[in-house]
Amino acid sequence: MSEDKVRSIDGATVELLEKARKENISTAFTRADEIKPCPIGIEESCCKICAMGPCRLPRSKKDVAKERKGVCGATIDTVVARNFARKIAAGAASHSDHAREVVETFIKTARGKAQEFVIKDEIKLLAVALDFGIAIEGRDIKDIAIELGEKALKEFGKQHGELIYISKAPLKRQEIWRKYGVVPRGIDREVVEIMHRTHMGVDQDYRHIIQQATRTALADGWGGSMISTDLQDIMFGTPVPVLGRINLGVLKEEQVNVIVHGHEPLLPELLVVASRDPEIKALTEKAGAKGINLAGMCCSANEVLMRHGIPCAGNFLQQELALVTGAVEVMTVDVQCEMQGLQSVAECFHTKLITTSDRAKIEGALHIEFHPEDGLDTAKKILKMAIENYPNRRHAVYIPDHSQDIVAGFSHETINYLLGGLFRASYRPLNDNIINGRIRGVAGVVGCNNVRTPHDEGHITMIKELIKNDVIVLTTGCAAMACGKAGLLTPEAAQQFAGSGLAEVCEAVGIPPVLHLGSCVDNSRILIAATAMVKEGGLGDDISDLPAAGAAPEWMSEKALAIGQYFVASGVFTVFGTTWPTLGSENVTKHLFEEYEEMYKGMWAYEPDHEKAAQLMIAHIDKKRKALGLEKARERVLFDMAMRRALE
Amino acid sequence: MSEYTYEEKENFEGTKVKVLGPTYDEGKPVEKDDWQAKLGSRGDMLGYLRTALRYWYSKEWYGSEKRKQEA
Repeated sequence: MSEDKVRSIDGATVELLEKARKENISTAFTRADEIKPCPIGIEESCCKICAMGPCRLPRSKKDVAKERKGVCGATIDTVVARNFARKIAAGAASHSDHAREVVETFIKTARGKAQEFVIKDEIKLLAVALDFGIAIEGRDIKDIAIELGEKALKEFGKQHGELIYISKAPLKRQEIWRKYGVVPRGIDREVVEIMHRTHMGVDQDYRHIIQQATRTALADGWGGSMISTDLQDIMFGTPVPVLGRINLGVLKEEQVNVIVHGHEPLLPELLVVASRDPEIKALTEKAGAKGINLAGMCCSANEVLMRHGIPCAGNFLQQELALVTGAVEVMTVDVQCEMQGLQSVAECFHTKLITTSDRAKIEGALHIEFHPEDGLDTAKKILKMAIENYPNRRHAVYIPDHSQDIVAGFSHETINYLLGGLFRASYRPLNDNIINGRIRGVAGVVGCNNVRTPHDEGHITMIKELIKNDVIVLTTGCAAMACGKAGLLTPEAAQQFAGSGLAEVCEAVGIPPVLHLGSCVDNSRILIAATAMVKEGGLGDDISDLPAAGAAPEWMSEKALAIGQYFVASGVFTVFGTTWPTLGSENVTKHLFEEYEEMYKGMWAYEPDHEKAAQLMIAHIDKKRKALGLEKARERVLFDMAMRRALE
Repeated sequence: MSEYTYEEKENFEGTKVKVLGPTYDEGKPVEKDDWQAKLGSRGDMLGYLRTALRYWYSKEWYGSEKRKQEA
């Protein structure tokens, strides 16, 4: 690995990369040095959907006007649009297959067939039941939950009509979607249709292909992801603010360290329960350890952090480095964002890597499948293996001394409560403070890490620039963890990093300037919070009217593209960094970056310079403020009788 | 509130605002603030949905959309 390159702005990561380098351990960082991104693939100018190719279609350096077509005659626009649509299909499928697993577990929970799981949040159950048109009067929780689970499952295979959650969006937004024919039917149907339409010789009009990509992305944001979030909340509780700690320094040398990595919170919830079991505690003591230290990685971490305050070891690019500490007895992985390289690193140490989902195995890793029927037994079995593995540490343990307090758990319901209290809960104070200019606008900064850009730097540069300019930030996923490590997720951060208007509001409400809303499926919480702001009034009639913008400065996964596409199609200006996968086609890029503003009132932008990207977002927020007539700060004035008489 | 001292700063538009600055209370929650636990009965819960989440579960609210014809 090149030593002169800044690989991360996080101290723990830098220290463990140095340890890995000295011990000659391969990580994503070293492999990235060995593999240069393919210059044709990076702009998606390659078609490999049939055996007449692959057709590589880079721009000709000698003849820039030369038409680029594949063997079948497919234009570069068709090729790039197909590749983009397939990525969105994969992203939407990932969130939605997660959702399906949650729904199936939910039904088993409702029927009393899921070990230890119960319906924890009756309020959310009632709310979601009402969304689904389920009668609740005089019915017990179990009956309502069973009907809800069965109806939610039907959302995946619905062949006609509209997804139920579409009706939660602002009315104007629904009209736009209907106008352009992108209201999703069943989630599975939309994904299947993309795969069909992008098969050789089917849909060969780039705008028409992108239309289906939009429909599929909306099936993710207002379908699969939203179902995941809501049903997880019902089973495990809607998050409320909770104090935790973050970064690799949360690992404990004298304890049995178990890391839960992945996305579905099902097994992690039970590992939390099992770790508190007296039998497990006794076994831990017998092994000579001072306790079981459960820690999270990636979005599994976000889930158990915001519901239980379980420490978070780190984000995507820290997964291999957690094992490099030599202190991890077991790492469990379920689905999404788990590097196959984990197994090679685990083999350098005593660590057992355990795959737990029937949909994901890693060669060489142990496979202990999670099933809700005996989930707690599985969790105990895994913890017992970790305890037995504790004496097998064969290297000197090195845990970087870096960890930071973090406040997580700002569900949209909790934000509503914090702004107005239990009986007057409302987004009104937020809207008012945007109108009076204390808060300039709202930004959603989400997404992954990408080894092609310094770890965490994009998130932190962008977010510091935004909050300095009085833009409140909502964050999820690996971006949220980057913020936690940088100290942006505590209320004190308002005073240190925020502009004075935003700081004043944060101090009054007692919130950080950057709010942790959860994992990547929880981007649906941002959609609902934005909808609540619209419905509250005073900031236009649609999400696109809000002084708001979105970004994923360090994105790398297909899920991020699906998220971005549903944000854009919901009316949000969205900036991605690192790279952009339609640069091979000027027409497709123009369609997404310019024509979408005309159509959907939201559009994409690409800016790899994170500070410039933040400035693009601020400029967009200011454009929206101007459109709303909010160029100048104004206080909300409550008129008394004398003032009313003066009006007449 | 008298023990607090305020600093005057300018916001992004140049307007003067007061911030607590050095006397700002640290706000980390020592324990989980489970505000939903205050809602004990089904009636309380439905009342909460009708008021706090009125945008979706009540017709009694006055947002932008209420001024217009429904889609």
